[in-house]
Amino acid sequence: MKLIEARGLTKEFRIFSRSEGVMGAFRDLFHRRYRILRAVDGIDFAVDRGEMVGYIGANGAGKSTTIKMLTGILVPTAGTVSVNGYVPHKDRESYTRGIGVVFGQRSQLWWDIAVIESFKLLRRIYDVPREDFRRRLQQFDDILGLSGLLNLPVRKLSLGQRMRCDLAAALLHNPAILFLDEPTIGLDVLAKSKIREFLKEINNEYKTTVILTTHDLGDIEALCPRVAIIDRGKMLYDGSVDNLYSQWGQDKLEDIVKRIYMGQKPTSGSAGGGWDIG
Amino acid sequence: MAMKLPSSSKTAARYLTIFIHYLAQYIKTKMAYRWDFFIHIFTEFLQQSVSLIFILIIFSKVPAIQGWTRDQVLFIYGFFLVPFGIYSGFFNHLFDVPEKYVLQGEFDRILVRPINAWYQVVVETMRPELLVSMIVGIIIMIHSGSRMGLVPVWWDIPLAAVLVAGAALVYAGVYTFLASLGFWTEGNLGLMPMVYNLSQYGRYPMTIYRGPVRFLLTWILPFAFVGFYPATIVMHRYEYMGYALLTPVVGIVSFVIAYLFWEAGVKRYRGTGS
Repeated sequence: MKLIEARGLTKEFRIFSRSEGVMGAFRDLFHRRYRILRAVDGIDFAVDRGEMVGYIGANGAGKSTTIKMLTGILVPTAGTVSVNGYVPHKDRESYTRGIGVVFGQRSQLWWDIAVIESFKLLRRIYDVPREDFRRRLQQFDDILGLSGLLNLPVRKLSLGQRMRCDLAAALLHNPAILFLDEPTIGLDVLAKSKIREFLKEINNEYKTTVILTTHDLGDIEALCPRVAIIDRGKMLYDGSVDNLYSQWGQDKLEDIVKRIYMGQKPTSGSAGGGWDIG
Repeated sequence: MAMKLPSSSKTAARYLTIFIHYLAQYIKTKMAYRWDFFIHIFTEFLQQSVSLIFILIIFSKVPAIQGWTRDQVLFIYGFFLVPFGIYSGFFNHLFDVPEKYVLQGEFDRILVRPINAWYQVVVETMRPELLVSMIVGIIIMIHSGSRMGLVPVWWDIPLAAVLVAGAALVYAGVYTFLASLGFWTEGNLGLMPMVYNLSQYGRYPMTIYRGPVRFLLTWILPFAFVGFYPATIVMHRYEYMGYALLTPVVGIVSFVIAYLFWEAGVKRYRGTGS
C-alpha cells in the first residue's frame, strides 16, 4: 500500500471571462461567459513512506493545485486520491492530523503573538503530549536555531526566520507527510541551506514523507532523489533525478529542466524511464 | 450511543481547551495594544449610551408609545443588550469571511487544521471584551424593572437564560448565513451594515412597526426574537407569550439552516479555489 496514491487526478476551474468596456460589464450582469481551465489533467502519482519528492513545473503548470488536492483543500473534479489511508477532502478533520503543510507565500502562524505561543496553540490543536512537544521543539531549535526567535511576534520576523518557524510549526505533531509549497521562495543562500539540512534530518529520523514544490533546483539537488515534472496540468516526467542526468547527458539540472519546459525530449533516444509520452 | 458518548465528550473537552487557549492568546495580544483595547470598550459604552439617551429623550416628550412605557422600552433594550453582547463578542466578525478568508485565501490555512472550520473562524475573530454590553444590559433591566415594580419570581433567571441563548443563536444564524454568501460572491456584498441596522429594530416594541416590517423581523430576519418578544415575557407581560416561547426554536432553526448553508459554501470553496 502506497502512502500517497492518486489516479487520473483532475481539477477543472470555471473561469469567468469578463467582457471589455462599460457595455461589456453591463452585459456580464445578465449573461456570464465561462471557460473551463483544466489546471490538473489526469495525473497518476504514487509515493512511498519516507520518500522525498520534488514537484516542479513552470508557473501555472498546476503544482499548487495538485498540492491543494493532496492536502484536502480542493476537491478534485475527477480521479481518485488516497493519502495516509484517507480521502483528503472527505475526512478532513481526521486526515489533517497526520499531515503538515507549509505555504511559502503565507504563514501558518498567528501574526500578532509570539512564536512560542503559536506553537503552544498548535500543540493543543493537534493534541501533542507535552513531553513530545518539548523534545521536538528542542531538536528543531538545535538545527534551525529558533531560540532567539521564540519570543518575537511573527510580524517582526524576517522571511527566513519566519520560514524556519513555519517549518517547525508544521512538524510539531510529527506528521507522516509534509507538504511544502515553495518553502525556499525569497530566501538567501544561508537560510536555504539551513532549511535543506533540517528537512534531510527530519526525513532521516522520522521517515517523514516530503512532497515539495519549488522553482529552485538546488532544493531538488540537495534533497530529492525523485522528481516529478508537470506541465500544463500533465505529468511530463516522474522518476529519479539520476535518470534525468543520464538521459540528457552531463548537463546541469537547470539546463535540463529548461529544455523540458520548452517541450524538448531527451536526445539519447532512450524513451521510457519515467517519460510519459502521450 | 453509549459507545459514542466518551469520544464526543472528549471532543467537547478538546474544543473547550482550544477556546481557552485562543482566549488567553487574545488577551495577551490585546494587552500589547492596551490603549486600543480600552478605547474599544469605551466606544462600545458610548454607542450604547447614545441609544439610551435617544430612548430617554423620546419619553421626555411622550408618556408612552403604543401602550409601552418608558421603563418597559428600557427593559426591552436592556434585555436586547445581552444577546447583542454575545453577538458582538463572537459572531460579528463572521463578516470577515468573504473578504479576508475567501478572497484573500486565508481559508486554506483553516482547512489544513484538524478542527471544525466554522469554529476556527469564530475563535480566531472573537472580541470577547465586547461582552461588556451584557453587563450594561443587565443593569438597565434591573433598574427599569425595579422602577416599574417588577416582582422577580424563581423561574425568571433560568427562563431568561434559555431565551438569551435562543436570541444569540438567531444572531449566530443570520451572521453565519451572511458570511456563507462570501463563498459565492468571493468578496464582500455590503449587506452587513444593512442587516446590522435591521438587527437594531429588534429592541423596540413590534407594535410600532407596520405589518410588513413586523413580518420581516419575525419570520425572515428574525431580529424580533433577539429583543422584543423574549423581553416581554421576562418583564411579565404575556400578550406575546407564544412568540416569546418560540425564541429558542427560532434560534435553533436559524442556526441549523445557516450552518447547512455554510457547509455548502465550504464545499464550493473547495471546488473553486485557485
